[in-house]
Amino acid sequence: MTLTLHPIRVATGFDEEGMLVLDEEERLVAVLVRLSDENEVAPGQWYLEAGFGRLEGIDRPTFSSLDMARDWIGQRLSRT
Amino acid sequence: MHSPFHPDYNPLIRKIESAHTLTGDERQALETLPMQVQVIKADQDIVREGDRPSRSCLLLSGFTCTYKITAGGKRQIVSFNIPGDIPDLQSLHLKVLDNSVATISQCRVGFVTHEDLRNLCARHPRITSAFWRETLIDAAIFREWVTNVGRREGVSRMAHVLCELLVRLRAVDLVEDHACDLPITQSEFADALGFTTVHVNRVLQQMRTDGLIVTQGSRLNIPDWEKLKQVGEFDPTYLHLENDQAAA
Repeated sequence: MTLTLHPIRVATGFDEEGMLVLDEEERLVAVLVRLSDENEVAPGQWYLEAGFGRLEGIDRPTFSSLDMARDWIGQRLSRT
Repeated sequence: MHSPFHPDYNPLIRKIESAHTLTGDERQALETLPMQVQVIKADQDIVREGDRPSRSCLLLSGFTCTYKITAGGKRQIVSFNIPGDIPDLQSLHLKVLDNSVATISQCRVGFVTHEDLRNLCARHPRITSAFWRETLIDAAIFREWVTNVGRREGVSRMAHVLCELLVRLRAVDLVEDHACDLPITQSEFADALGFTTVHVNRVLQQMRTDGLIVTQGSRLNIPDWEKLKQVGEFDPTYLHLENDQAAA
Protein backbone atom coordinates (compact mmCIF):
# COMPACT_ATOMS: atom_id res chain seq x y z
CA MET A 1 0.00 0.00 0.00
CA THR A 2 1.31 3.43 -0.89
CA LEU A 3 0.91 5.98 1.84
CA THR A 4 1.33 9.72 1.46
CA LEU A 5 2.76 11.94 4.17
CA HIS A 6 1.88 15.60 4.73
CA PRO A 7 3.76 17.65 7.32
CA ILE A 8 1.53 19.43 9.80
CA ARG A 9 2.02 21.43 12.98
CA VAL A 10 0.55 19.86 16.10
CA ALA A 11 -0.42 21.55 19.35
CA THR A 12 0.84 18.91 21.78
CA GLY A 13 2.22 21.60 24.06
CA PHE A 14 5.78 20.60 23.21
CA ASP A 15 8.25 21.41 20.47
CA GLU A 16 7.02 18.65 18.19
CA GLU A 17 6.22 18.33 14.50
CA GLY A 18 3.59 16.08 13.01
CA MET A 19 2.80 14.17 9.86
CA LEU A 20 -0.60 13.31 8.42
CA VAL A 21 -0.65 9.82 6.89
CA LEU A 22 -3.08 9.35 3.98
CA ASP A 23 -3.93 6.16 2.13
CA GLU A 24 -4.25 5.69 -1.65
CA GLU A 25 -7.73 7.19 -1.60
CA GLU A 26 -6.51 10.30 0.25
CA ARG A 27 -8.18 9.23 3.49
CA LEU A 28 -6.54 10.14 6.79
CA VAL A 29 -5.41 6.92 8.48
CA ALA A 30 -2.96 8.17 11.10
CA VAL A 31 -1.19 11.12 12.67
CA LEU A 32 2.49 10.67 13.51
CA VAL A 33 4.35 13.02 15.82
CA ARG A 34 8.11 13.35 16.15
CA LEU A 35 8.51 13.53 19.92
CA SER A 36 10.42 16.36 21.49
CA ASP A 37 14.01 15.70 22.55
CA GLU A 38 12.83 16.48 26.09
CA ASN A 39 10.48 13.50 26.09
CA GLU A 40 11.91 11.08 28.68
CA VAL A 41 10.37 7.93 27.20
CA ALA A 42 11.22 8.07 23.49
CA PRO A 43 13.03 11.34 22.67
CA GLY A 44 13.13 12.15 18.97
CA GLN A 45 11.12 9.08 17.98
CA TRP A 46 8.06 9.02 15.76
CA TYR A 47 4.93 8.28 17.79
CA LEU A 48 1.59 7.05 16.49
CA GLU A 49 -0.38 9.89 18.04
CA ALA A 50 -3.69 8.83 16.53
CA GLY A 51 -4.93 6.05 14.29
CA PHE A 52 -8.24 5.70 12.50
CA GLY A 53 -10.26 2.71 11.33
CA ARG A 54 -8.03 -0.35 11.52
CA LEU A 55 -5.41 1.59 13.42
CA GLU A 56 -7.81 2.59 16.16
CA GLY A 57 -7.64 1.10 19.64
CA ILE A 58 -4.31 -0.66 19.19
CA ASP A 59 -1.08 -0.15 21.09
CA ARG A 60 0.51 3.04 19.92
CA PRO A 61 4.16 2.32 19.24
CA THR A 62 7.11 4.62 18.65
CA PHE A 63 9.49 4.29 15.69
CA SER A 64 13.10 5.35 15.22
CA SER A 65 12.44 6.63 11.69
CA LEU A 66 9.59 7.86 9.57
CA ASP A 67 10.20 5.04 7.05
CA MET A 68 9.75 2.41 9.77
CA ALA A 69 6.54 4.08 10.88
CA ARG A 70 5.22 4.17 7.32
CA ASP A 71 6.10 0.50 6.70
CA TRP A 72 4.42 -0.59 9.91
CA ILE A 73 1.23 1.33 9.15
CA GLY A 74 1.21 -0.05 5.59
CA GLN A 75 1.50 -3.61 6.87
CA ARG A 76 -1.29 -3.09 9.39
CA LEU A 77 -3.62 -1.71 6.74
CA SER A 78 -2.81 -4.46 4.23
CA ARG A 79 -3.68 -7.29 6.60
CA THR A 80 -6.83 -9.10 5.62
CA MET B 1 2.09 4.88 67.93
CA HIS B 2 5.19 3.42 66.29
CA SER B 3 6.86 5.29 63.49
CA PRO B 4 6.89 3.65 60.02
CA PHE B 5 10.59 2.99 60.53
CA HIS B 6 10.15 1.04 63.75
CA PRO B 7 10.41 -2.74 63.23
CA ASP B 8 7.16 -3.25 65.18
CA TYR B 9 5.22 -0.80 63.06
CA ASN B 10 2.16 -2.67 61.87
CA PRO B 11 0.41 -0.74 59.11
CA LEU B 12 -2.69 -2.93 59.35
CA ILE B 13 -3.27 -1.84 62.96
CA ARG B 14 -2.54 1.76 61.99
CA LYS B 15 -5.06 1.52 59.16
CA ILE B 16 -7.81 -0.09 61.23
CA GLU B 17 -7.24 2.41 64.04
CA SER B 18 -7.80 5.26 61.63
CA ALA B 19 -11.50 4.28 61.68
CA HIS B 20 -12.01 2.04 64.77
CA THR B 21 -10.88 2.25 68.36
CA LEU B 22 -9.45 -1.17 69.15
CA THR B 23 -9.73 -2.74 72.59
CA GLY B 24 -6.59 -4.12 74.20
CA ASP B 25 -7.67 -7.68 73.32
CA GLU B 26 -8.32 -6.81 69.69
CA ARG B 27 -5.03 -5.01 69.37
CA GLN B 28 -3.17 -7.94 70.88
CA ALA B 29 -4.97 -10.39 68.57
CA LEU B 30 -3.78 -8.37 65.56
CA GLU B 31 -0.27 -7.98 66.94
CA THR B 32 0.08 -11.71 67.53
CA LEU B 33 -1.59 -12.80 64.30
CA PRO B 34 0.69 -15.56 62.94
CA MET B 35 2.37 -14.28 59.84
CA GLN B 36 5.05 -15.61 57.53
CA VAL B 37 7.03 -12.54 56.54
CA GLN B 38 8.84 -12.54 53.19
CA VAL B 39 10.81 -9.92 51.33
CA ILE B 40 9.85 -9.96 47.66
CA LYS B 41 11.80 -8.02 45.06
CA ALA B 42 10.20 -5.60 42.62
CA ASP B 43 8.09 -6.71 39.64
CA GLN B 44 7.19 -10.17 40.94
CA ASP B 45 3.73 -11.71 41.05
CA ILE B 46 2.56 -12.49 44.58
CA VAL B 47 -0.64 -14.21 43.43
CA ARG B 48 -2.02 -14.80 39.95
CA GLU B 49 -5.46 -14.85 38.39
CA GLY B 50 -6.83 -18.40 38.65
CA ASP B 51 -4.95 -19.20 41.87
CA ARG B 52 -6.80 -20.86 44.74
CA PRO B 53 -4.90 -19.41 47.71
CA SER B 54 -5.06 -20.78 51.25
CA ARG B 55 -3.60 -17.56 52.66
CA SER B 56 -3.83 -13.81 52.17
CA CYS B 57 -1.03 -11.28 52.03
CA LEU B 58 -0.70 -8.23 54.23
CA LEU B 59 1.54 -5.59 52.72
CA LEU B 60 3.96 -4.43 55.44
CA SER B 61 6.17 -2.19 53.32
CA GLY B 62 6.49 -1.26 49.66
CA PHE B 63 3.94 -0.92 46.88
CA THR B 64 2.02 -3.56 44.94
CA CYS B 65 -0.62 -3.37 42.22
CA THR B 66 -3.73 -5.38 41.47
CA TYR B 67 -4.05 -6.08 37.76
CA LYS B 68 -5.75 -8.02 34.98
CA ILE B 69 -4.49 -8.89 31.49
CA THR B 70 -6.47 -8.91 28.25
CA ALA B 71 -6.30 -11.77 25.75
CA GLY B 72 -3.99 -9.56 23.67
CA GLY B 73 -1.54 -9.26 26.56
CA LYS B 74 -2.36 -5.71 27.62
CA ARG B 75 -2.19 -5.10 31.35
CA GLN B 76 -4.71 -2.98 33.23
CA ILE B 77 -3.69 -2.04 36.76
CA VAL B 78 -6.96 -1.64 38.66
CA SER B 79 -5.49 -0.37 41.93
CA PHE B 80 -2.29 0.43 43.74
CA ASN B 81 -1.81 -1.21 47.14
CA ILE B 82 0.09 0.41 49.99
CA PRO B 83 1.27 -0.77 53.44
CA GLY B 84 -1.65 -1.92 55.59
CA ASP B 85 -3.59 -3.25 52.60
CA ILE B 86 -4.52 -6.92 52.20
CA PRO B 87 -4.94 -6.91 48.42
CA ASP B 88 -6.21 -10.50 48.21
CA LEU B 89 -8.38 -10.54 51.32
CA GLN B 90 -11.32 -11.52 49.12
CA SER B 91 -9.76 -14.97 48.63
CA LEU B 92 -10.87 -15.73 52.19
CA HIS B 93 -14.40 -16.08 50.78
CA LEU B 94 -13.95 -16.31 46.99
CA LYS B 95 -12.16 -19.55 46.09
CA VAL B 96 -10.63 -18.57 42.75
CA LEU B 97 -8.74 -15.29 42.32
CA ASP B 98 -10.04 -13.20 39.43
CA ASN B 99 -7.04 -10.85 39.43
CA SER B 100 -3.29 -10.89 39.97
CA VAL B 101 -1.22 -8.95 42.48
CA ALA B 102 2.39 -7.97 41.74
CA THR B 103 5.07 -6.00 43.57
CA ILE B 104 5.98 -2.58 42.21
CA SER B 105 8.92 -1.99 44.54
CA GLN B 106 10.68 -4.39 46.89
CA CYS B 107 8.06 -5.35 49.47
CA ARG B 108 7.80 -6.94 52.88
CA VAL B 109 4.73 -9.11 52.81
CA GLY B 110 3.14 -10.97 55.72
CA PHE B 111 1.28 -14.12 54.65
CA VAL B 112 -1.58 -15.06 56.97
CA THR B 113 -3.36 -18.38 56.51
CA HIS B 114 -7.09 -18.29 55.91
CA GLU B 115 -7.48 -20.56 58.91
CA ASP B 116 -5.82 -17.99 61.18
CA LEU B 117 -7.89 -15.20 59.63
CA ARG B 118 -11.09 -17.19 60.22
CA ASN B 119 -10.12 -17.78 63.84
CA LEU B 120 -9.37 -14.09 64.30
CA CYS B 121 -12.72 -13.10 62.81
CA ALA B 122 -14.65 -15.71 64.83
CA ARG B 123 -13.17 -14.42 68.09
CA HIS B 124 -13.32 -10.72 67.32
CA PRO B 125 -16.50 -9.66 65.49
CA ARG B 126 -15.43 -6.00 65.49
CA ILE B 127 -12.31 -6.96 63.53
CA THR B 128 -14.57 -8.83 61.08
CA SER B 129 -16.53 -5.59 60.70
CA ALA B 130 -13.32 -3.66 60.13
CA PHE B 131 -12.26 -6.11 57.37
CA TRP B 132 -15.71 -5.93 55.81
CA ARG B 133 -15.52 -2.15 55.86
CA GLU B 134 -12.10 -2.26 54.18
CA THR B 135 -13.43 -4.40 51.32
CA LEU B 136 -16.34 -1.98 50.88
CA ILE B 137 -13.87 0.88 50.62
CA ASP B 138 -11.85 -1.15 48.09
CA ALA B 139 -15.04 -1.34 46.00
CA ALA B 140 -15.51 2.42 46.37
CA ILE B 141 -11.96 2.93 45.10
CA PHE B 142 -12.67 0.71 42.06
CA ARG B 143 -15.81 2.76 41.29
CA GLU B 144 -13.78 5.92 41.50
CA TRP B 145 -11.11 4.48 39.18
CA VAL B 146 -13.67 3.48 36.53
CA THR B 147 -14.98 7.04 36.58
CA ASN B 148 -11.49 8.51 36.51
CA VAL B 149 -10.10 6.35 33.70
CA GLY B 150 -13.30 6.48 31.69
CA ARG B 151 -14.15 10.16 31.97
CA ARG B 152 -11.22 12.36 33.03
CA GLU B 153 -8.48 13.42 30.66
CA GLY B 154 -4.71 13.84 30.82
CA VAL B 155 -3.48 15.93 33.72
CA SER B 156 -6.77 15.65 35.60
CA ARG B 157 -6.72 11.83 35.50
CA MET B 158 -3.14 11.68 36.78
CA ALA B 159 -3.76 14.37 39.42
CA HIS B 160 -6.71 12.41 40.78
CA VAL B 161 -4.68 9.24 41.31
CA LEU B 162 -1.80 11.17 42.90
CA CYS B 163 -4.27 12.84 45.32
CA GLU B 164 -5.71 9.44 46.24
CA LEU B 165 -2.27 7.94 46.88
CA LEU B 166 -1.22 10.85 49.06
CA VAL B 167 -4.36 10.68 51.21
CA ARG B 168 -4.14 6.89 51.62
CA LEU B 169 -0.41 7.05 52.44
CA ARG B 170 -1.07 9.77 54.99
CA ALA B 171 -3.57 7.47 56.77
CA VAL B 172 -0.72 5.02 57.45
CA ASP B 173 1.81 7.71 58.40
CA LEU B 174 3.83 7.52 55.18
CA VAL B 175 3.55 11.20 54.22
CA GLU B 176 5.65 14.08 55.52
CA ASP B 177 3.97 17.41 54.87
CA HIS B 178 2.90 16.82 51.27
CA ALA B 179 5.79 14.57 50.24
CA CYS B 180 6.06 10.79 50.00
CA ASP B 181 8.03 7.98 48.39
CA LEU B 182 6.23 6.86 45.25
CA PRO B 183 8.21 4.18 43.40
CA ILE B 184 5.61 3.81 40.61
CA THR B 185 7.21 3.97 37.14
CA GLN B 186 5.79 5.84 34.15
CA SER B 187 5.06 2.50 32.51
CA GLU B 188 3.04 1.40 35.56
CA PHE B 189 1.13 4.69 35.56
CA ALA B 190 0.40 4.06 31.87
CA ASP B 191 -1.09 0.64 32.68
CA ALA B 192 -3.13 2.13 35.52
CA LEU B 193 -4.44 5.18 33.67
CA GLY B 194 -4.98 3.69 30.22
CA PHE B 195 -2.37 6.02 28.69
CA THR B 196 0.69 5.24 26.60
CA THR B 197 4.01 5.83 28.37
CA VAL B 198 4.60 8.71 25.93
CA HIS B 199 1.39 10.33 27.13
CA VAL B 200 2.24 9.74 30.80
CA ASN B 201 5.56 11.47 30.25
CA ARG B 202 3.91 14.45 28.59
CA VAL B 203 1.38 14.71 31.42
CA LEU B 204 4.06 14.56 34.13
CA GLN B 205 6.19 17.15 32.34
CA GLN B 206 3.16 19.41 32.03
CA MET B 207 2.40 18.97 35.75
CA ARG B 208 6.01 19.81 36.67
CA THR B 209 5.90 22.94 34.48
CA ASP B 210 2.58 23.98 36.06
CA GLY B 211 4.04 23.58 39.56
CA LEU B 212 1.60 20.79 40.50
CA ILE B 213 4.30 18.26 41.37
CA VAL B 214 8.01 18.18 42.11
CA THR B 215 9.74 14.84 41.60
CA GLN B 216 13.21 13.70 42.54
CA GLY B 217 13.91 10.02 41.93
CA SER B 218 10.97 8.21 43.52
CA ARG B 219 10.22 11.13 45.84
CA LEU B 220 7.03 13.04 45.09
CA ASN B 221 6.36 16.46 46.55
CA ILE B 222 3.12 18.34 46.10
CA PRO B 223 3.80 22.06 46.54
CA ASP B 224 0.19 23.20 46.20
CA TRP B 225 -2.21 20.56 47.54
CA GLU B 226 -5.37 22.62 47.00
CA LYS B 227 -4.46 23.22 43.36
CA LEU B 228 -3.74 19.53 42.72
CA LYS B 229 -7.08 18.54 44.29
CA GLN B 230 -8.86 21.08 42.10
CA VAL B 231 -7.16 19.91 38.91
CA GLY B 232 -7.90 16.26 39.77
CA GLU B 233 -11.50 17.02 40.83
CA PHE B 234 -10.54 15.10 43.95
CA ASP B 235 -13.08 14.65 46.75
CA PRO B 236 -11.80 12.15 49.36
CA THR B 237 -15.30 11.12 50.50
CA TYR B 238 -15.02 7.75 48.71
CA LEU B 239 -12.03 6.81 50.88
CA HIS B 240 -14.28 7.11 53.97
CA LEU B 241 -11.52 8.20 56.30
CA GLU B 242 -12.83 8.98 59.75
CA ASN B 243 -9.98 11.27 60.57
CA ASP B 244 -10.60 14.59 58.80
CA GLN B 245 -6.94 15.49 59.09
CA ALA B 246 -6.11 12.68 56.71
CA ALA B 247 -7.85 14.46 53.87
CA ALA B 248 -6.20 17.81 54.51
